[in-house]
Amino acid sequence: MAKYDYVEKAVKVTRREFLAILGVGAAFLFSGAALVSNVVFDRNKYIKMRAAGIYKDDEKSPKRQSHNNKGLNDMYARFAGEPLSPLAEELFHTHYIDRSKLL
Amino acid sequence: MSNHALSGEKVLKHRLSSRLFHWALIISFLPAAATGVIIWLKFGGEDFVNLAMKIHIVGAAILTLSCILYTLFSFDRVVAFLRVAFKFGKDDIEWMQVCGGYPQKMFLGKEVPVPPMDKMNSGQKMLGLLVLFGTILLIFTGWMLYMFIPFIPKEISLYAHWIHWGLGLLLGASILAHIFLGIYNWDDFKAMLGNGTMPIEVANHHNPLWVFEKIERVDGSDKKATDKGNVSTSV
Repeated sequence: MAKYDYVEKAVKVTRREFLAILGVGAAFLFSGAALVSNVVFDRNKYIKMRAAGIYKDDEKSPKRQSHNNKGLNDMYARFAGEPLSPLAEELFHTHYIDRSKLL
Repeated sequence: MSNHALSGEKVLKHRLSSRLFHWALIISFLPAAATGVIIWLKFGGEDFVNLAMKIHIVGAAILTLSCILYTLFSFDRVVAFLRVAFKFGKDDIEWMQVCGGYPQKMFLGKEVPVPPMDKMNSGQKMLGLLVLFGTILLIFTGWMLYMFIPFIPKEISLYAHWIHWGLGLLLGASILAHIFLGIYNWDDFKAMLGNGTMPIEVANHHNPLWVFEKIERVDGSDKKATDKGNVSTSV
């Protein structure tokens, strides 16, 4: 143990100081949380609207399966051969990327 | 080294919780800052950058935990810090006008009169406020970028990234200056990283207001540190 002759007097935290620090901390946390939650809410709103739009398009569409899609069938007939053909594989299929690394 | 005539009496300037907190900042912030630069500049190979990121996260965890624990268990010290750090007056302006007298002492070898300071001088107060608000923002933006990327919108991630990057560089540069001046003020350096004590004369020289107003004898006697009449107004 270190020996010393003088020490700082005890600091008495007043109720006003305690509430002020608590208030500033709470204001910082809640304003940040409110800002982020507003943006997240807005984003989710657009995602939900987009999803609703796609479902609506599906409901209106007379043909709802890709193998009945005339445009898609034309594309295979005139360009990509058949589903899973080498060209279709090259153009439409994604590749595995290891994202377990942090960067 | 101290050039003061010493009586052998000592004052506890930094108590155990503050010293432990300072050590926690050293072992967490410095590696986090160094690895942050590596991650930013993509210095070295991919594996090296990934290792740097892991060290960065461990440093961030220690930094966050130590800040929370210090606030909870040494709340009175946090209040004492805030009381001094937010108190700026005429003395602080005069102190800053002469840069605390340090450049004159370092480069010209002469001492100029400086106003008496409390436990922290004006430069330390400004650094303290920068570290306080900067570290809070660094911690928040850092954890947002690490843990909440899938849940937060891209614009928030982008702002968090720029704040984290800018504040990291600013704080890193400030800490380099802090380390340099800390080593220059060797008695305080030893006190903060060692047993917390320093000769009363040294404390009286650098922090006369603190010695005059805020310390007391351990044995409860009325004898004051300033009975010696050596309150100093110079560096």
